[in-house]
Amino acid sequence: MTNQNDNSSHMIQTKDITKTVSTSEGSLQILQPISFEVKAGESIAIVGASGSGKSTLLSLLAGLDEVSSGEIFLDAAPLHTMDEEQRARLRGEKVGFIFQSFMLVQSLTAIENVMLPAEIAGLADAHKRAQAILEQVGLSHRAHHYPNQLSGGEQQRVAIARAFIGQPKILFADEPTGNLDAANSVRVEDLLFNLNREIGTTLVLVTHDNELAKKCERQLQMQAGELTEITVSPAAAENKDLAYGS
Amino acid sequence: MVANLAWRLFKHEARRGELTIILFAIILSVAAVLSLSLFSERLQGALVERSSQFIAADSQLRSRKPISDEWMRQAEAEGLATAEQVSTRSMAFGEQKMSLVDLRAVSPQYPLKGEIQLADKPFGTTTATDKLPAAGEIWIDSRLFQLLDVEIGETVYIGDGEFTVGQVLSEIPDQGFSVFNTDPMVLIALEDLARTNITGPGSRVTYKAYFTGEDSLIEAYYDWLRPNLDDELHRWQRVGDDESAIGRSIARAERYFLLASLLAIVLAAVAIAVAAQRYSQRHFDPVAIFKTLGATKQMIRRVYVLQILFITVLGIIIGIVAGVIIQQLVVTALAGQVDVSLDVWHWRPLFIAVLTGSICAILFSLYPLLRLFSVPPLRVLRRDMDAGLSSRGLQFGASGGAIFLLMWVYSRDLEISAILFGSGVLLVVALLGVTFGLIAIGRRLGQGAMGVWQLAWARIRRRAMDNSVQLISFSVTIMLLLVVLVMRNDMIAQWRAQLPVDTPNYFMANITEAQKTPLENHFAENQVTVDEFYPVVRGRFVAVNDERVNTEVTKEEDPEQSEGRRGLGREANLSWSDKLQRENTVVQGQWHENWEPAGNDLTAEGQQVYPVSVEEGVAQRLNIALDDLLTFNVGSEIVVTRVTSIREVNWQTMQPNFFFVLHPAAMQEFSATYITSFHLDGARKADITALMQPFSSVTLFDVDARINQVREIIDQVSLAVEFILVLVLIAGSLVLFAQVQASMDERQQELAILRTLGARGSLIRFSVINEFLIIGTVAGLMAAMANEVSLYLLQSRIFDMQGSMHFEYWIIAPLVGALVVGVLGGIGCYRLLRLNTGQLLRKMV
Repeated sequence: MTNQNDNSSHMIQTKDITKTVSTSEGSLQILQPISFEVKAGESIAIVGASGSGKSTLLSLLAGLDEVSSGEIFLDAAPLHTMDEEQRARLRGEKVGFIFQSFMLVQSLTAIENVMLPAEIAGLADAHKRAQAILEQVGLSHRAHHYPNQLSGGEQQRVAIARAFIGQPKILFADEPTGNLDAANSVRVEDLLFNLNREIGTTLVLVTHDNELAKKCERQLQMQAGELTEITVSPAAAENKDLAYGS
Repeated sequence: MVANLAWRLFKHEARRGELTIILFAIILSVAAVLSLSLFSERLQGALVERSSQFIAADSQLRSRKPISDEWMRQAEAEGLATAEQVSTRSMAFGEQKMSLVDLRAVSPQYPLKGEIQLADKPFGTTTATDKLPAAGEIWIDSRLFQLLDVEIGETVYIGDGEFTVGQVLSEIPDQGFSVFNTDPMVLIALEDLARTNITGPGSRVTYKAYFTGEDSLIEAYYDWLRPNLDDELHRWQRVGDDESAIGRSIARAERYFLLASLLAIVLAAVAIAVAAQRYSQRHFDPVAIFKTLGATKQMIRRVYVLQILFITVLGIIIGIVAGVIIQQLVVTALAGQVDVSLDVWHWRPLFIAVLTGSICAILFSLYPLLRLFSVPPLRVLRRDMDAGLSSRGLQFGASGGAIFLLMWVYSRDLEISAILFGSGVLLVVALLGVTFGLIAIGRRLGQGAMGVWQLAWARIRRRAMDNSVQLISFSVTIMLLLVVLVMRNDMIAQWRAQLPVDTPNYFMANITEAQKTPLENHFAENQVTVDEFYPVVRGRFVAVNDERVNTEVTKEEDPEQSEGRRGLGREANLSWSDKLQRENTVVQGQWHENWEPAGNDLTAEGQQVYPVSVEEGVAQRLNIALDDLLTFNVGSEIVVTRVTSIREVNWQTMQPNFFFVLHPAAMQEFSATYITSFHLDGARKADITALMQPFSSVTLFDVDARINQVREIIDQVSLAVEFILVLVLIAGSLVLFAQVQASMDERQQELAILRTLGARGSLIRFSVINEFLIIGTVAGLMAAMANEVSLYLLQSRIFDMQGSMHFEYWIIAPLVGALVVGVLGGIGCYRLLRLNTGQLLRKMV
């Protein structure tokens, strides 16, 4: 798919990564050897049925879990050799996350949730940045509300603002619209792709939603722990070129 | 940045009530410990002050030789107040008559504590005075007016001294009380003693020095003095050394306060452990989020350690304020009944309270925090991922260690800490076994249709470990409450039994055989019941087996001789009876009621050997064992006896007790006098003269004032004990409530699911209530059993009481446990079920 010389332009590169877990009935390989690359600024969707291994793949790519074998490079950093602390640092510097269940800290307000990554990274202007980005997602008037005072759509927009505050090089989204109604889904998707375009973030999302998947440049089809198919979505690529060109 | 984040988390969580339980637990621990120990220190201070009146000082040195002036100067130089008394027995002469008297010559500072009581006329009403006899003046006991036939203003002679009778002496603080010490007391100034010339060589004189001052000063002085003291001659006595009924009651009360405070600490610790566990569980998600967003372990550690620090500091501050307020309320409520001074501030309780709060907060949140730190970031995707750390051993180790450390630091008594801690550990181990056993039984019971009980059992079974922790905390709480409650009941019952309402307040001695019946009849006519008559004969104690017992005179000459047989004067009061006296228990051998004279137990001279029963303490002191031969010299006769029983005597009863009780057959030849006692109501005090009038030779002792004093102190102590019990009960109930609340949160998810699936509210409610009923019953039963063990150890080893079983609590505790835990569970459940399913589900997120 790509040659080794250009791996500097790859945001993600995996080589024969597998994941094996031990169960009461012995060890179980939940990911067969998988290799692929994602270019910087590219958007990909990992799709597949429940239990196909897509969330596991996401957790490995994001460095939330360790591979059993194989190699993963995230922006050229060898994730597979790093310990939990090093991976945490790398996530702090380069990665943003969006989850199906939003995963906001319940005891912090919207703006404080948004500030979190910037604070963890030790940025001095965390508050200013957070205000700006909340403005961007249209929630500046809800800045001082707690998560449980916000609707699902609002919570996910806070999560998006939180994901983009550190201008991450790569954003992982796990079923970002899974808990939302149609109107809110559209809004969240638009926000996600606009920010992806504006900041040039690489986008990796896991979804059941074919429509959403099609908005990504490529779709990685997972089935029973195997990467079975990679399809390219021309419309999405075109959109992107248009956006870059504009 | 980290501090900022920690502070913000703290602020928001505090505002949203997330920290309420853990904060509350810390406040509770600090407030309970502070108020209890502050109150008990103040109360102890007041009681010690009261009881110091019985030795007329804080400390007293008794000596059989004059006390060196240098010792007194040293005490004064060290900042102690001092006073002196010299006492001896001597003859006092009126113009016509004479009598043996107990002479007390006191220095101008006497008494340092307590008051001298004077009567307005012989046997009249008494009032306290702060004066002392002037030079040449003598104050004499009511009885002496009759015995010496003197009036106020007349002259009494003692030795070479001549004195004018100035006042009717009723009582001095440290006069002591003994029915055998029959000589009436007289009081003169110390400076007058020399004039009498009665304290020359050979006379039996007791010298006393009194000291008061700060505890530390007295301790320092005693350290200086000790090397100079000779056990043979000197005896140092502190307030706490008091072996009297009051001394023991106070010592016991002090231990009770200590116990109650210790238990309050443990209760608070349990509350914190429960709360910290819950706190940690609630923060699994935030920690996973922080980690996902790139926070390092160190950063997270700092955020949470700071959080705990904020909570601890806030808890301690509020706890101190609450503790002081509670204590103030208690003291105000008790005002007039217990004279506790609020002016004195004690630092130790404050120090202990702060230490308790800190140690509890830090050590009990250690394990939950460690668990928290080990939460994997993957939890953001896989919500079922738990903390990586699951060693309960570490948790139990840390918590157990913390509790033991606190107990020890607080009580400074290894034994009491070890007993409480040991029985707690036993309980925990037993509970773990029982829980799993019950769960196994429940597995069978829980099968079948999903009814209320099945659902309850199923829930208990599913969370075996969580439930066992819950069961343990409920049981420990109930056990601690039982210990405090039952201990208080037993203690107060014993105190009351010691001094029942009709406790004799007058003693009579020197009653002749011929006077016995007329006296009894005369008293009966006046509606006064006379107690038993006890015969008494003065005997000289001659030998144990073939070994002569040293008299006091030879002892001083050769203190090395007869090491083990010291301590008893050569004179002993012998009594005889074939009936075992009340409050006496034979601990060795057999009581001699069925003894028959036998030809085979004769001395070498062919004399009959009679049985004798010896008091346990004196037997130990004189090294007397069963079957030893004791020889007494009574009058001019020799009586040989064999020890056939050893008795334990309850010295705390107000009745005459005897070291040696012989078989009546041994004493047939001797004419005895009798002693007895009676109770006369305070309102009839004026009748006493008429009552005694026909029996002028009988000696009367009025101990009414003394008994009232004892009773008053015991009432005060009982009242204080009640208050402490109430405080501990409140603390315990709060802990139980916190536990139910905490476990309610854990059930929230399940309730939400059941609700969503359409379960009726009543089904859910009753299944939860039933679950709590089961847990409450088992906890109550286990607590009752563990209570027996710890109470037995505490009573027999620490409280100097007889251990007893309390079977009624085997029924009461499970019932009350089920009721309280069930009701609390029901309330918690009701609160949750009032929310609609949507709200319930949202609360879970």
